[in-house]
This record gives sequence, C-alpha cells and structure tokens, in this order.
Amino acid sequence: MREYPLLIIGGGLSGLAAGIRFARFGHKVLILEKHTKAGGLNSYYYRRGRLFETGLHAITNYAPPADKHAPLNRLLRQLKIPRHTLKLRQQQTSEIFFPGRASLCFSNDFSLLESQIAKHFPDSVQHFKNMVAEIDSYDAFTPRPKVSARKFVSAFLQNRLLAEMIFCSLMFYGGSNENDMDLSQFVILFRSIFQEGFFRPEGTIKDLLDLLLKQYRDFGGEIEFSSGVREILAENNRISGVRTDTGEEISCDNLISTAGFPETRRLFTSPGPAAKFSELPEDKISGRLSFLESIYLFNKSFLDHLPQDRTIIFYNLSENFSYRRPDEAVDLNSGVICFPDNFEGSRQDDTIQMRVTHLANYEKWRHAYDNRDKSLYAAMKTDWKARSKKVVGKIIGNCIKNIVYEDTFTPVTIERFTSRTQGAVYGSSEKIKDGRTNFENLYIAGTDQGYLGIVGALLSGVTMVNQHIFNKM
Amino acid sequence: MTIDEIKNVILEIIQDIDDEADLENLNPGDALRDQLDLDSMDFLDIVMELRKRYQIQIPEADYPQLATLDSCVNYLMPRLQAA
Repeated sequence: MREYPLLIIGGGLSGLAAGIRFARFGHKVLILEKHTKAGGLNSYYYRRGRLFETGLHAITNYAPPADKHAPLNRLLRQLKIPRHTLKLRQQQTSEIFFPGRASLCFSNDFSLLESQIAKHFPDSVQHFKNMVAEIDSYDAFTPRPKVSARKFVSAFLQNRLLAEMIFCSLMFYGGSNENDMDLSQFVILFRSIFQEGFFRPEGTIKDLLDLLLKQYRDFGGEIEFSSGVREILAENNRISGVRTDTGEEISCDNLISTAGFPETRRLFTSPGPAAKFSELPEDKISGRLSFLESIYLFNKSFLDHLPQDRTIIFYNLSENFSYRRPDEAVDLNSGVICFPDNFEGSRQDDTIQMRVTHLANYEKWRHAYDNRDKSLYAAMKTDWKARSKKVVGKIIGNCIKNIVYEDTFTPVTIERFTSRTQGAVYGSSEKIKDGRTNFENLYIAGTDQGYLGIVGALLSGVTMVNQHIFNKM
Repeated sequence: MTIDEIKNVILEIIQDIDDEADLENLNPGDALRDQLDLDSMDFLDIVMELRKRYQIQIPEADYPQLATLDSCVNYLMPRLQAA
C-alpha cells in the first residue's frame, strides 16, 4: 500500500499551495485531483483552439512589492515564488452602479472610493471613515462566534443605499450566506477588494496554475489527475487513509481536504464517522448561492461600444439589493459585468471579452438538466442568456451584438466540474475557520476554511500546513 | 561549524526566503524580524529550513532564542557542532 505523510484531496489553489508548502521542506506528499486539470473553481477549458478561464474575473488583494506584510507578498514568500518573476496588471476602475440612484467608482487607490463617497454621500463620509477605522483594527482570523455584518455596517452607516452598494460588491465577490455575512468575512472582503484591490497576472489562469504545478513538482510533490476519492477511511479519532475511485487504498499520516465541508462529509460512507465529522443537517451546511455566468467575445471593432475604462461593474436594479437564491432560475436584477481586458497594459488580441454573472437557482437548473427531454435545459440557457443580454446592454449603454463567440455556465455546470454541491461557488454557509475537525489528523483547507478569493485559497493551504502539520513532523 | 559559518548559513536562509532582504546593513545584536520586516510565517521558514538541512528540531519554546543573528549563533553553535 502506498503511504504518505500528507495526502491532499483536491488540486485547486488551496491544495496546490498546501502541497508546495509541505514538499518545500523535503516531505513526501500526494495530491489527488478528480478532474483532468488543476485549478478547481479557477481553471480553464478550450473552445475553438482558444483558452477560456472559469471563475477568474480578477484576483483580489493587490499589494505593491514593498509592502512585505501584505497577504499577497507573504503568500509569495511562503510559496517561494519571487515577486519580480510575476508581472501583475492592476485594474483600471471598477464601479458599483445602482442605475437612477447612485454610482460609486473604486480602484486600487482607496482614496478614490473615499472621494466618491464624499461626493455622492456627503453626510455619510465621516461615518464611513469611522467604519473603516473599526475594520482596520478588527482581527478577522481568530475563530469566534458569528457576528452579523449587516448589523455592524448599519451601526455606522445610516444611509441604507450606501450600505447596500457596499454589500452588493462584497457579497458578489465572496458571500456564502444569503443576505448577510459573518463580520470576519466582511472584513476580509472589504480589505481585499477596496483597500488592496484587483489585479491579474500576465497571461491566463493556466500560466499561474502551471507555475504552481512546476513549483510543486520541483520540490518533489506528486499529483494525480482523474483521481477522485471515493471514501475517507476512519479509525476511531484518526484518518488512516483514503480509497480512490479505482478502489486503491492509500494510507496517510495527515489528510487535508479541500473538497468543501458538505463534500468532505459525503466521503465518509458509513454513518458513524460521518456524524463524528459533523452532525449539522445537510441543508445547514450546503451553500445556497450559485450563479449563471456568460462569456462573450467581441470583435475588436466593437470596442467603441464597450466601456474601456471599467474593469468590473457591480449593478443592482431593484429597490433592495437581494443576495439570495432567486425564486426564478436567474435573478437579472443584479449582476457583475467584467471586462478582463481592462487591466493595465494592453493585450495583443483581436477580440474583447466580457463576462456576466447573475445569481441563479440551482434546483431549477438541476431540474431542467435531469429532464428526459434534453432540449429543455438548452432552451432555458438560450432564453436566460437573451434576457441577460438585454439587461446588460442597458447597463453598459449599448446593445450587445457583434458577438464572435459565447458560452454560458449554469449552477449544474459548476457542480459537474468543481464537485461543489449545488454549484455553490463560495462554498458552505458554515466555515471551519481553524481548519480542524473532530478527527485529529484531518484538516479542511480552501473555500470552506473561510479565506476568500485566489490569494485567500492559496493562503488557506499554506496556513493549514504551517499551523497543523509541521508541528507533527 | 564556526561562528562565521553559522552566520552565513542563517544569512543564506534569509536570502532564500526574501531575495530582496537588506543583509548588508544588518545589526547582529538587533531583532531580525524588525530589521528585515519579516513576520512569523517567514520565521517559521528559518526553523523549517534548519530542520531540513541539519535535522535539528527546534521546539517552539526556543524560538525567542533565534531573535537576533547573534542569539541564533549562540543557540545553534552547540547543536551544529558536528555539522
């Protein structure tokens, strides 16, 4: 039987980071990845000979090289990737747009957001500054009981519209709870999006994944693709190993699962160990938030009709911003419109890309997908894509045409390729902040450990190994 | 190992952690963390690297003894005697 000091379920960003960390100091480690490619929620696929990214709009947590304590730079040192080997392109300007009511622009210079608030919400600017001071001093990483971010924000901002605008952007970028979020998640998101900001590395997510894979393998780490885990094997308080989809048993001293909270529990196939892992009911730990996402490619001649200085637009049309599983298949009242080409430095390409994301109802899409009549699901996709285009056209002030390629992912697509239950991109509504479980050698890393975004996922993998595994070696 | 050899090992490990670290102006009697702007995660790397290279286990309780370059040398001297 094969034996490893550390076994990792999932070759997404948190799994790769955990693996690099462990392998770096000469220890043997194996990552088991179900899919044929690395990346998990942030991966890629090819259509018509062109690479398309999944998930990635922008990476949060931008920091200049000199800021050594910034999460991004700490992370790169931990992974032993010299900062100067990465070319990072910062966003231009992003916008939170509530048509007919207000607009707030922000960039990687936090003073832009402050001046926008001073301009559009003059009565609230001091309240906003007071809130930022409180956020600055908040320790978001020590596990503690949940606190409502809504309550926290409303204690500072009496202006409901301003509060809704802030929540609209933060929830779309990482909210795993409906209509509210835990204060520590709010603080992490506020810092990573407004105070640090958006960037993209040069190239695509594939370049970043290839860099991580190379680093991992150079340190001696092993990874196997198309290698799903069927079962986690438990003996009393310990995990003894896993059984893979092919029936092979692999034993391990430590196991890190990046599959997610409900997804990891499902890997305990007998009721005793599953209950020991968590007794919370399934509907309490399954994330309810999923999305419909469309990618559009336009010919460059259409450029004049698209915003050229906007990187990401968060919009909301309804009276009250609603961040929950919609009653209909898709909620067009709000969404995210992203232009991945609108980062600093031009890209040599003959096409312009736009990505549009809306909240979507997993059950409705699942129901259509499972129908014997396969045309139902396809028709539903076509219908919602057309409706989305109309709304987005109004937001960006031009009708959407001249499309050379388009593709749409539904919650079912997300579930199929990421193994995330119900296509819940931001994972479970319950986070396991210290990564510990009721098994002494099983740890949770990634989205359900509660760090957010790409930098967060990578830091999660690093932190779990630093805090829980190294001291046992 | 001699004092200078141990110093060089430490400096080399730090350089490896942060290739832009300013080692020229390092004061051997002052805290490494403050001078190099390192945090606890980087500090762990020094410990892990020493373990990887010389198989020495440094318990967490001893970490304060690695605070400065001089104290590193004092602490490591007896432990790296054979190396």
